[in-house]
Amino acid sequence: MNGTVVKNKLIFDFASGILGPAKSLFASTYLQLNSNASKISNTFENMLGENLMDIENIRPKNLTYTDCINSENIKSASNLKDPLSSFFGNLNNLDWKQVYKGFKEYTASIDDKDELKLIKMEPGVSVPLHSHGGKEYILVLEGSFCDEYGEYSKGDIQINDQKIKHTPIASKSTGCVCLSITEKDVIFFGKYGSFLNLYTFIKSFFKQK
Amino acid sequence: MEKSNLNNLMNRIQKDRDEMAFSEIFDFFAPKINAYFIQNKIKIESSEELTQEVLSTVWVKSNLYDSTKSALSTWIFTIARNKKIDFFRKNSKITFQEEDIREFLYQDREVDPIEENEAKKQIERINNELDEQQKIMIKMNFFENKSHKKIADELEIPLGTVKSRLRHILTKMQGFLR
Repeated sequence: MNGTVVKNKLIFDFASGILGPAKSLFASTYLQLNSNASKISNTFENMLGENLMDIENIRPKNLTYTDCINSENIKSASNLKDPLSSFFGNLNNLDWKQVYKGFKEYTASIDDKDELKLIKMEPGVSVPLHSHGGKEYILVLEGSFCDEYGEYSKGDIQINDQKIKHTPIASKSTGCVCLSITEKDVIFFGKYGSFLNLYTFIKSFFKQK
Repeated sequence: MEKSNLNNLMNRIQKDRDEMAFSEIFDFFAPKINAYFIQNKIKIESSEELTQEVLSTVWVKSNLYDSTKSALSTWIFTIARNKKIDFFRKNSKITFQEEDIREFLYQDREVDPIEENEAKKQIERINNELDEQQKIMIKMNFFENKSHKKIADELEIPLGTVKSRLRHILTKMQGFLR
């Protein structure tokens, strides 16, 4: 799957409501910052909404319209326009952890199989050449960065898998703040651990094709 | 029921809090919303409760619906989807230490909606490009949220084929989503 298709898959999965909490927060921030992504999600919701029109009816047995009018358990309307600050509060007040000079991160405490992190890079700072275990999603929140594949600014996302090796560098003038998702990789321990790890390694190698 | 007719009914609810108009909206959508929940593997006792919550939301928050921005079915679908997320969250085996953030992420957030006409054109183009089986697969995957394995079983095709076909569909749709 090429990059754009993977991005759309994220949007579709969000619209279907099947993403876990970490990816949901990531995707909703992406839709908020990127109007094109937001349009795609809208189109897709319209497609899914059409399915509702064609669905084969199953009439509720114990429900009348007056039950709905008299129902009182509706929460007041919330209009949260900024999912990120609703969750993290002011980003400047977070307890950032310095990984090395000019590179800080903050890991969100979300109970999910995916890890959600904020990354802050000072102007001109780079990340040494690396590749990824699981898939990694990066969304630029402020500033920009570039790597061998292009430049990424506010609202852009980059999705990396095992075959990507890259050296991101934060913009010399602005630095950058990003939101990232790392899909946790399964690492096996115990008696057969090394064998299983080798097996997943070989399997992932062939998946690259 | 015609879309324009549905919009008239919604209009009467918004302007006059017209209960008769709501009863027609109820008769039309309640069986569809209920069916959506059942397709998404929610048991009938809960599906009716959720259907009630969706339609109560339609009644209470009718002013949030804007017919120039989306079809009524789209708006109602998103409410139902949000209730579904909330339902699975509450019934998940994982005990959440704090509230699952999806609860607020999926509530009536305003995201740059596109004009309905623009959406309609794009959907038409996508529908023209996809054949029947491809449409069914999109529906099973994204609307009914069936696993690849389940789709393979129901369509009686190998799992690998399901995966490669879905990949192909997504690539194909790519050309129509800008």
